[in-house]
Amino acid sequence: MRDFFRRFLSKLLRRDQKLKIGLYGHPNSGKTTLANTMSQDWLGKPLGLISNIPHETRAVYRQEKVSITQDGYELDFDIIDTPGIATKVDYKNFLEFGLTEEEAKNRAKEATKGIIEAIKWLDDVTGVLLVMDATQDPLTQANITIIGNLEARKIPFIIVANKTDLPESSSEKISSVFPQHTVVPISALQGENTGELYMSMIKKFK
Amino acid sequence: MEGLKMDFLSSDALEGSSSMEKISMIINRVKAGDILVIEGGLSPSEEAELIETTMREIDIENFVGIDVHTLERDERSFFGFSKKKKTGLTIIGPANVMRSVKKKSNFISMIAELGDSGASVH
Repeated sequence: MRDFFRRFLSKLLRRDQKLKIGLYGHPNSGKTTLANTMSQDWLGKPLGLISNIPHETRAVYRQEKVSITQDGYELDFDIIDTPGIATKVDYKNFLEFGLTEEEAKNRAKEATKGIIEAIKWLDDVTGVLLVMDATQDPLTQANITIIGNLEARKIPFIIVANKTDLPESSSEKISSVFPQHTVVPISALQGENTGELYMSMIKKFK
Repeated sequence: MEGLKMDFLSSDALEGSSSMEKISMIINRVKAGDILVIEGGLSPSEEAELIETTMREIDIENFVGIDVHTLERDERSFFGFSKKKKTGLTIIGPANVMRSVKKKSNFISMIAELGDSGASVH
């Protein structure tokens, strides 16, 4: 698979081309897991810790440079893992994860700042992976809003239907809701079908 | 018993308003507990601005954010050859009031919660 991926690279990419890829999606959709998987596949090392608390990635996490060199070409990715785009933040949701009320309120305040940062990042990316949890209903306003924004700004994006390793997942549902967009089903956790995702990225983000 | 206030705004009512005027009008009404039904929709940049303003306005105790739902309709181009999705209706309300929203491509059903009472809007 890797050789195949690299052949695509050398065909499609120009020298000095730098791509900055944003990872967007709902809290706990698997953005950090996907970033970790890509980092493992390309660099051989993980990026960061994964938590079950929504908005855990509260400061925008950024891997400055992920480089792949092949046949004299270099592909640089800036992988940005942001808090999920959301229109509401209720500190009570954080209480369910065993935080004290004060901790939960502080976490909620940080989450609101993180969401503002995530929106600002949109001004500065060349391609976006919109990560959706394939076990959840994809037709959410946050998804519709971000897709509208990406379309309006002509930012190329791929919808990643994540968590296909779970029996209740349905990437078909995501495809049927967003038929006009590229949807790639993967399991970031198990590394399933990531090769197809990387090839779609090369096609879309070149 | 507290009531549920719903405001219906025609697209004409927003025409001529700047983005900032639209956003602050929406935020002020939603913070006061109103649900807004707007004919048409906001532009993507206005939506992003609305989310950003909402995040700044969240005060943890009283205002936890907004819920936005849109119904889209097909709009045919001049000769009717191509179809484009356009926002027909936008519903914006306080996140702690708008509960159990069911959505299909041409239908929204929403239950608003007001303390112990409840109101159903279809």
